Amino acid sequence: MPALVLDDVSKRYGAFQAVRDLSFQVEPGTICGFLGPNGAGKTSTIRMMLGLQPASSGRIEILGADDGRKVRDRIGFLPEERGVYKKMTPVDTIAFFAGLKGVPTGEGRKRARALLDAHGLGASKTKKMKALSKGMAQKVQLLASIAHQPEFVILDEPFSGLDPVNQQGLEQIIRDLAAGGATVLFSTHVMQHAERLCDKVVLLARGQKAFEGTVTEARARSTRFLELEGALEQAAVAALPGVASVDAVGEGEGGAKFRAALAPGAEAQAALRSAFISGLDVRRFEMREPTLHDAFIDLTGDDPDQDQRQTEIRAEEAAR
Amino acid sequence: MNRALLIARREYGAYARTVGFWLSLLALPFFAGIGGGMAYLVERGDPVRNVAFVEAETAERPMTPAVLDALALEQRKSIAQSIRSAAVTEAGPQEAERLRSLALQEGTEPALAEMRRVAPRAAAGFSAPDQDVRVVDAPEAITSATGEARIEAVRAALASEAEPQLDAIALLGRDAAGAPSAELWVRKASDREAEFAVRDALIEVNRRESLERAGVDPGLVSGLELFRPDLQSFSPSSASGAEVSFRDQLPGIIGLAIGFLLWSLVITGASILMNSVMEEKASKVLEVLLSSASTTEIMVGKVLGVAMLTLTVLAAYAVMGIVALTSFQPQVLADVGSVLMEGGLLIYLLIYLVGGYLLYAVIFTAIGAFCETPRDAQTLMGPIMMVLIVPLLVMQLAVRTPDAPLVKILSLVPPFTPFLMSARAPSQPPLIEHVGAIGGMALLIVLAIWLSGRAFRAGALSDVKLSWKSLGSVVRGGN
Repeated sequence: MPALVLDDVSKRYGAFQAVRDLSFQVEPGTICGFLGPNGAGKTSTIRMMLGLQPASSGRIEILGADDGRKVRDRIGFLPEERGVYKKMTPVDTIAFFAGLKGVPTGEGRKRARALLDAHGLGASKTKKMKALSKGMAQKVQLLASIAHQPEFVILDEPFSGLDPVNQQGLEQIIRDLAAGGATVLFSTHVMQHAERLCDKVVLLARGQKAFEGTVTEARARSTRFLELEGALEQAAVAALPGVASVDAVGEGEGGAKFRAALAPGAEAQAALRSAFISGLDVRRFEMREPTLHDAFIDLTGDDPDQDQRQTEIRAEEAAR
Repeated sequence: MNRALLIARREYGAYARTVGFWLSLLALPFFAGIGGGMAYLVERGDPVRNVAFVEAETAERPMTPAVLDALALEQRKSIAQSIRSAAVTEAGPQEAERLRSLALQEGTEPALAEMRRVAPRAAAGFSAPDQDVRVVDAPEAITSATGEARIEAVRAALASEAEPQLDAIALLGRDAAGAPSAELWVRKASDREAEFAVRDALIEVNRRESLERAGVDPGLVSGLELFRPDLQSFSPSSASGAEVSFRDQLPGIIGLAIGFLLWSLVITGASILMNSVMEEKASKVLEVLLSSASTTEIMVGKVLGVAMLTLTVLAAYAVMGIVALTSFQPQVLADVGSVLMEGGLLIYLLIYLVGGYLLYAVIFTAIGAFCETPRDAQTLMGPIMMVLIVPLLVMQLAVRTPDAPLVKILSLVPPFTPFLMSARAPSQPPLIEHVGAIGGMALLIVLAIWLSGRAFRAGALSDVKLSWKSLGSVVRGGN
């Protein structure tokens, strides 16, 4: 039985349609990336999964229940916007939220100490949360969301605001959770994390599902490119087998550079072999496999980083 | 329910563990003590003025003995009033009045002896108020001098640092009509204590002389003025079934105290709740809480946590009050206890206390869920504060005249019920009024909990500010 089922789920806020006819499933013990730019409808969908907001239409089933609130003790949740009680210590924070999920206070404190020690926060156990750095506080909040050893972990933009070292640490935590049998669903607009972690990705754009499948499948939906450099003519490159189109992309050290888009199913080796046999002066070549980011743009027409960049630009302008 | 208790415990601990909470808890008794102590110190700290009286050079008959008599009478009146005030709570108004009469007619010592019998605790702690002025002999340099030389001697005496220092010198005389008058010289131009005392004394002297001239015995007039009738009040509804005593005034005092206490508890408790929710919404903790507990559990937990906090304050004040009354006024403590136990008053007060707190706590909690800053909350608080002002204005009337039509009607209006019925309850209103008031209040509480629950859930996760439009959407179940 799937850990999560969304069937034709929609959400409207007045006249605004945040999520439209969204359907997908997540199997138990897998890591699912819920991907999309800011405003794609990820947070609304997550809130509906948790039962914090009702769906306008459609059906949601999580851990066999038709309402996330019925199984809230078996779910761990890290919201997009982080918040902690600033005057509490990390141990109290973790024990309190674990307590809300049914873990007795004594056991919660024991688990809190163990988790903090295991994740390099042992020295900060008795400090107040306001004395911790932003990254440390985020880590504590993440630990608070998993201290009750949930079967399903939902993380809304968990990597946002973390430095590269902490991002790596978080990736390991997610892997460990899945290895321990938990189902993990996390939303992000940074495709690299999903690429490294996910068994499955769901791409969301403007409230609608654009793709559901593995990372490999997503990439396969995107165009692969063969980059060639040398004393070459564009027409000759275009005539190679399997090449669908060619763009001249300037001059390189070895001569003119061309970016040849391969037709779906075409072999790059066949095109290269043909180029050498026909005596084309190829001095440098490179096969460009599409990234998840490329696949996202191809599949949705959106750039997942665009909103983030615009936000950063606005912040910089405001700072100036 | 465990979740609600856990949230309540965290809420309670978040405030109870702060130094500020304990400081504010102790602030009221501390400042009350300081206030009372300061009044005492001001009264006791005011030095007695040394005043010398000098007869006019041309005086046909001395006026000083009459002035001294008048000053002594004034002092006796002041002591008699102090004895009455000190004895009234322990001995009751009738006995206190009798002690005053005794002090006026027979002097301080007989009155104090009687006070030790009827109000021993008050007598043990009683000390007579200091007199405002002390009469001292005028320096010979003044009495022996005349004209300008006498004035120069007065100036010199008031400038002198020799003990006893003179604070004022009254040069007694008579005006054109022969009435007592004086030229008062004081050491400090801003000091008017001697002026007040001398003026009162001269008025008394003039009164006596006028009576004598009219052929009336001044002693008879004084006796008539000092007479206090032995008046005793009786009522079939008094605690004793006959004579009215301080015990019968207690219900009114308790009603007023409970009404104000409830009002201040609602204001402080509900404000703490609102600020707590606002803070959690602003810091985004609320979303995590909502993923871990139901709206009802969160609201119940918060309301319960702050209720425990206010009960801690209440219990601390109650303990302080009981200790103070046990030490100084055990009879009053016993009377308060008997008033609270009479006719189920304590039960009614508890119902109105819990009802009032619950009603406003859930409303304030819901408001907090729509706000992230106190400024957001201000516009929403305005109408509620206006509602809360009404019982504050009517409460005193409710205590004085609990059956006044305005009070009766307003106490049955559910938002005012907790405060006004608390104030009226000690006066034993009819049972039907209690039932009607509690019924109306209960209905409003149920409506407030239902509406606030919806509003809390809608507000906690949205950035929408609460307005009549968004409230309408909440009622309709929109999100």
